[in-house]
Amino acid sequence: MEVDRELVEAAQAGDRWALEELVRRTHRGVYTCALRLVGNPDDAADVTQDVYLRVVRKLGGFRHEASFATWLNRVTTNVAMSTLKRRTRRFTVEGAAVPADTRDPAPEPAERAEAVALARRLERLVAELPEGQRQVLVLRDVYGQSTEEVANAMGLTPGAVKVRLFRARERLKAELEAAEGGQVVALSGRRRATGRRS
Amino acid sequence: MSCHAVRPLLPARAEELTPMEALIRAEHVAGCSRCAAEAAAYSRLGQALTVMAHLEAEPADGTLERVLIAIGRRRTRVTDPRVLAAAGSAGALVATVVVARALRQRRQSQPAPAWARRLHVPGLPLPAAALARAK
Repeated sequence: MEVDRELVEAAQAGDRWALEELVRRTHRGVYTCALRLVGNPDDAADVTQDVYLRVVRKLGGFRHEASFATWLNRVTTNVAMSTLKRRTRRFTVEGAAVPADTRDPAPEPAERAEAVALARRLERLVAELPEGQRQVLVLRDVYGQSTEEVANAMGLTPGAVKVRLFRARERLKAELEAAEGGQVVALSGRRRATGRRS
Repeated sequence: MSCHAVRPLLPARAEELTPMEALIRAEHVAGCSRCAAEAAAYSRLGQALTVMAHLEAEPADGTLERVLIAIGRRRTRVTDPRVLAAAGSAGALVATVVVARALRQRRQSQPAPAWARRLHVPGLPLPAAALARAK
């Protein structure tokens, strides 16, 4: 989700074309982040729209202290968390949030191909994590927010974030190894023991 | 330090550990192949999760259009503070002109005072109106 500073500044100055171009370039990233957090496509689309309404309101105050992508991710996180607090979940089918048609907008050099393939496999496994673990993992490990930022966004203590993060990583690693057929025997007992916690 | 004691440190990223915890983990992993394999697996997992940030899902058809329509409705309310300041100044200027013209018209339409009517010469405008026009 790379955005030129000039484009952002033009949108800040009221250039309609620039604002629409900004939305065109970033909406997939915003939607994907929302989908990973809220867990279903309908809510993710609503969050995406609310994110841009908030962006339009707050864009004048964006001072380029962080990158636009980082700022946009924070806005997305806040809107997604507010949405989750407001709404009762319409459904909770595990795996429903998988962005099955994820694509890598960057060119894919050979050395990156394996990491991208692994990331695609992880997408489904992440979607199957319990909601609390999934959200913490997505914000911290996928989008690189600090433990304090995650705690603030989710209304948790930093300690609670660390606990969820530990469980999510442990479970994800075990699931990944099981999916890849490696070290299953050593980890399956522990996975059964920890798999139902959130 | 036993494997059991070090295990909770293995999933953590380096920046999430205190210097002491990082040292304990590094020393243990250097001498324990099983924990070294675990640490490597977590490292690989962390890298792959970072890559996930660059993967994008395609929203349902119409999502982009919906967003563009929604912000089109709201867009006029928000712009750069400099633009808002300029718009505010322009608005104040327009308001000043409108008020000034209204006051002028009101002054012109007011009947002349009694003393002025007594001095009125047929064929000449009333003093108040003449004064206003002269201004």
